Amino acid sequence: MINIALPNDKKRRLPFYLAAEEWVARMLPPDEYFFAWRVPSTVICGRNQIIANEVDVDYCRQHNIDVVRRKSGGGCVYADMNNYMFSYIAPSSEVMPTFGRYTSMIVNLLDRLGVEAHANGRNDIFVGQCKIAGNAFYRLPGRAIAHGTLLVDVDSATISKALTPSRIKRQAKGVASVASHVTSLRALGLTISSEDFGKMAVNIFCQNRVIVPTPEHIAQIEEIEKSYYAPSFLGDHLRQRKAVYAKTIERSIRIEGSGEFFVEIGLDKEMTIKNIDLQGDFFALDDFRTLLLQPLEGHRYEPEILGKIIEGLPVADAIAGLNAKQLKKIILEI
Amino acid sequence: MSKIYYLPSHEYIIVDGNEGRIGISEFAAKELGTVTYVDMPEEGDEVVAGEEFGAVESRKAASDLFSPVSGEVLEVNEELADNPRLINNAPLEAWIIKVKIADPAQLNDLMDDAAYAEFCKNQH
Repeated sequence: MINIALPNDKKRRLPFYLAAEEWVARMLPPDEYFFAWRVPSTVICGRNQIIANEVDVDYCRQHNIDVVRRKSGGGCVYADMNNYMFSYIAPSSEVMPTFGRYTSMIVNLLDRLGVEAHANGRNDIFVGQCKIAGNAFYRLPGRAIAHGTLLVDVDSATISKALTPSRIKRQAKGVASVASHVTSLRALGLTISSEDFGKMAVNIFCQNRVIVPTPEHIAQIEEIEKSYYAPSFLGDHLRQRKAVYAKTIERSIRIEGSGEFFVEIGLDKEMTIKNIDLQGDFFALDDFRTLLLQPLEGHRYEPEILGKIIEGLPVADAIAGLNAKQLKKIILEI
Repeated sequence: MSKIYYLPSHEYIIVDGNEGRIGISEFAAKELGTVTYVDMPEEGDEVVAGEEFGAVESRKAASDLFSPVSGEVLEVNEELADNPRLINNAPLEAWIIKVKIADPAQLNDLMDDAAYAEFCKNQH
């Protein structure tokens, strides 16, 4: 198995590593590849999940927890520098043998540490009744990517807060997460550091076979990474549109002095707004959903009607550096 | 009379005149296991031969869907939104999208039934 030695030059967001998996699967000759990596606090949702159903997005934003989506299926997981993430790329798109190979690799790794683990029927690895590793699978033509988290240490309070959605935002579609009791190497009494654990995994699986991506390779990976931030992939609108709406409007726009805005508007057949959401890197001064977005719901998506409503909203009090004219631009593109 | 063709990524197209029903093969349905979600395009969207048009998620894996031909999506199988398992029950009946085939010559690049059966034998 060949180790992909990704650069450690700066902190990367999680999609960089998912893009690296895709790059390996799409660009490198058929072989077995593996790499181990860590990221700052991140919630990773499954491909077809409605994020608002699974995650407290506001809590995550307030606590600098990144929320991203992966191309493999399954439920939400939380990762931070106390977890190790593993990526295994196989030269076959067969699901069962590849998954079996990957999970047995991880079970054997734990065995070396004296931890008796087993794979369950849902892709996960358990110690007793508690989950220690959650895994998912993404199949491409002729290749398969199996990846997962392994809990070295765990901050249960943060996981619980980040992965508990606001009740009012829940919708009955998409793929739901399955909750499990979790354990970690630390909870099992092991003192190995997260960093040493990652190195140990690479040494055991790859011996001395290694590929060091060149700057050109990294640029290709970063290009793939962009696809993970596209509103059409990251947003919930695709999954909601199929569930509820006759039409969905989506756009992203940068407002100088305020930030990047992604707007999603779900309309019914009469062009009435059924749901509207704003996401981005802007700074919320107050509950902008209640103050700015809820007053628009139930009204027809017509510039004249919405324009008048927006003029009466406390825009500057809800989002830093934004005024009513700019909010009209975001929502109505005028 | 309808004819069936396959891609190496296990999508089929059942061709009737200038229309085709696209889904995943029995081999792929078995490989993936119980299907839990089908990510489909919308009516009126354009699909391109060899390019991604959606995805199938199962309890085991997520898998991109590739279109065997280029053309306009005439219909999506709405039944799959509520009951994605139909793909496991009868993959050839549970088509995912119906397309208007833009260029019938593209069918020549696909495998017919016999070639696909041979291809699947070599997968294990």
